[in-house]
Parts: sequence; structure tokens; C-alpha cells
Amino acid sequence: MSASGRVLDALRRSRRPMRLVGASGQLGYGIPTPAFEAALARQPDLIGADMGSIDIGPTYLGKGDMATAPAATRRDLRKLLLGARKLDVPLVIGSAGSAGAEPHLNATLAIVREIARAEGLHFRLGVLRADMPRPLLLDALRAGKVRGLDGMPDLTEDEIAHAAQIVGQMGMGPFRRALAEDIDVLIAGRACDTAIFASLPTMLGYPTGLAVHMAKIIECASLCCLPGGRDCILAELDDNDFVLESMNPQRRATPVSVAAHSMYEQADPFTVYEPEGKLDLSAAQYAAVDDRRTRVSGARWEVSSDPCVKLEGARKIGERAVLLSGAADPRFIAHHREILAAVSEVVRDLVCEDSPLDYTLRFRVYGVDGVRMAAPADEPPPGEVFVMGECIAPTAERAAEVVRTCKQYLLHHGYPGRLSTAGNLAFPFTPPEVSLGPAYRFNVYHLLHTPDPDALFPLEVELL
Amino acid sequence: MRLADIAQVIRSKNAGPRRLTLDLMFASDAEYQRVAQSPALGPARIAALYRVAPEDVTVIPYPVGRAIKIVLARKIMAGDPGDFDVYGAQQHAPLLGVEI
Repeated sequence: MSASGRVLDALRRSRRPMRLVGASGQLGYGIPTPAFEAALARQPDLIGADMGSIDIGPTYLGKGDMATAPAATRRDLRKLLLGARKLDVPLVIGSAGSAGAEPHLNATLAIVREIARAEGLHFRLGVLRADMPRPLLLDALRAGKVRGLDGMPDLTEDEIAHAAQIVGQMGMGPFRRALAEDIDVLIAGRACDTAIFASLPTMLGYPTGLAVHMAKIIECASLCCLPGGRDCILAELDDNDFVLESMNPQRRATPVSVAAHSMYEQADPFTVYEPEGKLDLSAAQYAAVDDRRTRVSGARWEVSSDPCVKLEGARKIGERAVLLSGAADPRFIAHHREILAAVSEVVRDLVCEDSPLDYTLRFRVYGVDGVRMAAPADEPPPGEVFVMGECIAPTAERAAEVVRTCKQYLLHHGYPGRLSTAGNLAFPFTPPEVSLGPAYRFNVYHLLHTPDPDALFPLEVELL
Repeated sequence: MRLADIAQVIRSKNAGPRRLTLDLMFASDAEYQRVAQSPALGPARIAALYRVAPEDVTVIPYPVGRAIKIVLARKIMAGDPGDFDVYGAQQHAPLLGVEI
């Protein structure tokens, strides 16, 4: 029997509080070994890790790249695989490869297979795919079953056709189906982080509200503690509550730190929407067990009568190149808006002499208003600024042409009152123009209403 | 007194790619109450500070976490051309100097 079958069997025969380890909130950025070893010593029933997020922006999803370094990703996966196989407990990983689409999942699976070969590990590997078939989306769109999230414009057939990748975020259903198939290691494409941890307990009848609330907290490892950090966290889940304990003795899970974590990256601290229902935290209670552990109770689960899946898609918008430069001349800084506008015109006239205006060129002036969405107009001017020019054009060559031309004319632009006639810019290195590769934008951020969301996420089982 | 001198945490982050959440956390119930009851963090004031429409601002008191959450609509979706803070992690700065 494989790990999920063994754990399900054992807990069905002899029910006790279930122990779950949140090993990493972002696999591939390092899992501290002492806390992981301490977690293994507690004989957990499941080890889980989240590997992705939408926060990292559209380019990873669109391009099919991982955000984490391959060597660091391999190190973390190896640690988790060896630990989970040693204890013979399920290892569950969600949102594989940063964005959870086919290329990300395949790259993650390639590393897992390579580790298994090198370490002589043999196990049943479950794989859940999250790529959304385009014909299905077109049908749903025509049937009025797709709606934009948070003011996202209506989806169109053109956007569906031109998205480089479209994934759906799977909930607990597909994970439960996989774990019922006697799995040792389960790797999922784009998934709700809660599903990684809440699926196995809910198969055993632990209350869904508590399981999802617990999952929402431990998917970030020890971030809910004081001080917050990336060490593994252990949750003990029972029928009335769960108890949280960081596996790093320096980190304390306190009632306020845990309660505060429930609002992290959420628009509403009392409600968490999941594909199958919603988590209601308005009656959640947090009580200290001792100075390092907190007991959490009171979360309620409301099953949705209209299940839906969150869709995420990215579309290529061109190739990006940037110019990296600084300036310290007070007159240049004072007049930078007019100077940048004038140089943009010079560049346009030059590069569009025999070509259409097919690019965008933007500047950000750090030190003035490069970072804030509404910088006050009355701030004193800074002594230095960093000037970044960014071009998005149809080809990498065109983007490079625009930023290289821009660099030369911004360097030597004459403006009224100019004293520094040898050059307006400081380059930290040359070449100061960098080609960054393809640029993407999120073109799908919608909800798909579907009576059977689980059917969208096929399961494959592989013997290693 | 400035908010930066009262709060234990003042942070911002995306809540999905189209919204920004600003979290204020306090070390004591007294400090939380003092700020929660202050008119300085009303939706209209926040809207003026961030130059967004007041209807795009939601302020949610969260006493159990000794925290106040402010949710704003992002003007530019995360990662779109023209975005300047893909994670939304540096948009808390205007709150630091708010007088309570």
C-alpha cells in the first residue's frame, strides 16, 4: 500500500489528532534543515508545500518559466522527497513550478524523476494537471459562464485564442480523488494553497472549516509566527480545533500573530472564497496553549451551490528592453519631465523614419515617483535619481533599437540652462541597455462557473 | 502622533492582481482602538492620499488581529505595462506620515 492509502487506513482504524507539516510557502527558496528535521521527528501524517503564486506576475505563467533557480528547486524537492519517503507519508505539492501550467509542471516532474533515479527512490507519483482546454472555455464563454474578477473586463474569444497559457486553480476535489488512488507523492499544477493541506483531513471527516483555516495558515510555513519566517510549521488538527507550532524554537505562534496572518494577502479577513465554498472566519477564536503554540477554533465552512474555478491566463505583448542609468544634476532632475518627453520625440522621429510607431517607451524616475502610485507633488527634489527607460516592441531587435537610440539622445540632450554638456547620465556599467525577453500581461483573471470543477483537472499516476 | 510611531506593522501587498491590501497592525488593544476610532483613516481620506475614487476604498477593522485592513483597487493590473510595483509591497509609504 502507498502512503496516502496507509495514512487514510491508519486514521480510519484509530482516530486521533492529525499532524500536518507546512514545509514551505514557496518551494525553491530554501527549506531550513533543522526545522524540517524537527518536523519529521514529530511523525507527521502529511507533508505539504506550496510552490507558486499569481503574485509573481504574468511573465512566468506566459513564458512557462519557474521563478526559482533550478539548483535551489532541486535541493528543496530532494529534501522533501527523502523526508516523506523515509516516513512513508504523503508529500503534496501545489502550483508546481511557480505558475502551475504544463511547462511548469513538466519541469517540476523532470526534477522529481531525476531525484528518484539518483536516490534510488520508488514511489507512486500522482500528477494533477491544471491547463484549461480552449474549446471548453469558448463554450463556457458563449454560455455566459465566465465572469471577470475584481473589475477585470469581460473575457473575449480573442483573448482565449491568444493566451500563451490558461490555467484553472483547482480546489480540494481533485486532490481527494488523487489521494484516494493510493499515492505517495502528489504534484499538482495551479492549485489553491488550501487544497494541499485540507484535502486529506476532509477525506477523514475532520471539519472542513477547521481544515481549510489550518491550511490557509500553514501553507505559509512559519510566517504566522513572531518573528515570522520560512521554517516548517506543524499543525495538529482535531474535531474541535487545531494547534499550531513552529518547528523553529525561536518562532512563537501567538494568538494575535496567527489571527493577523489570516488577513495576509486577502481582501477580507473574515471570508476566504474557495472553488467549493467559502470559509467564514467571523467566529474564529485564537487561544494560547503556551508561549509558542496557539489553538484555533471556530472557523465555519459553507458549501457553495454554484462552484467555480478561478482562471489565470497570460498573453504575450511583445519583447522588453530597458535602459539603466542615473543622474545627479539638479537642473536635469528639476526638468526631467520635459527632457524625457523631448527625447521620446527625438527617438520616435529617428526609429520611425522608415517604420511604423510599433512600440511603447516609458520612463520611471526613481527618487521622484518611480515607486508610489501617488507621490506627493510638493516633495523636495532628490540629490540623485535613477532613470529607467522601458521599451516594449514587437521584436527584441526593435526594442533594443529603441532603448539604444534613447540612451544616446538622453545622454546628450541639450535643455535650457544645461551646464553638464558632456553627458546627462551616469551608467553603472555598459552596455546600459538590457534585453529582458518576452513581456506578458494577465489577460485572463476570471471565474468559470461549472457544476463539476473536479472534471477539469485530470489525474495521471506514474510508478517511479 | 504619526501612524508610523503607533503601528507595529504597516504593510501593503496585492490581494490578487487587481487589488491592493494595506494592513495596519498594533501591539496593544489601546493603540488599535486609538487608530480604529480616528477619522484619519476614513475612506475619503485614504482615497485622497492614494488619488483613487472613495468608492474604490474599503476599510475593515479586524479587532481579533488588532489590525485594520484597507483595500484599494489597483489603477494598473499587476504586471501590465506601466506597472511600477508588481507585488504591491511598497504602496504603504503614504500611510506612514498620517497624523492620528
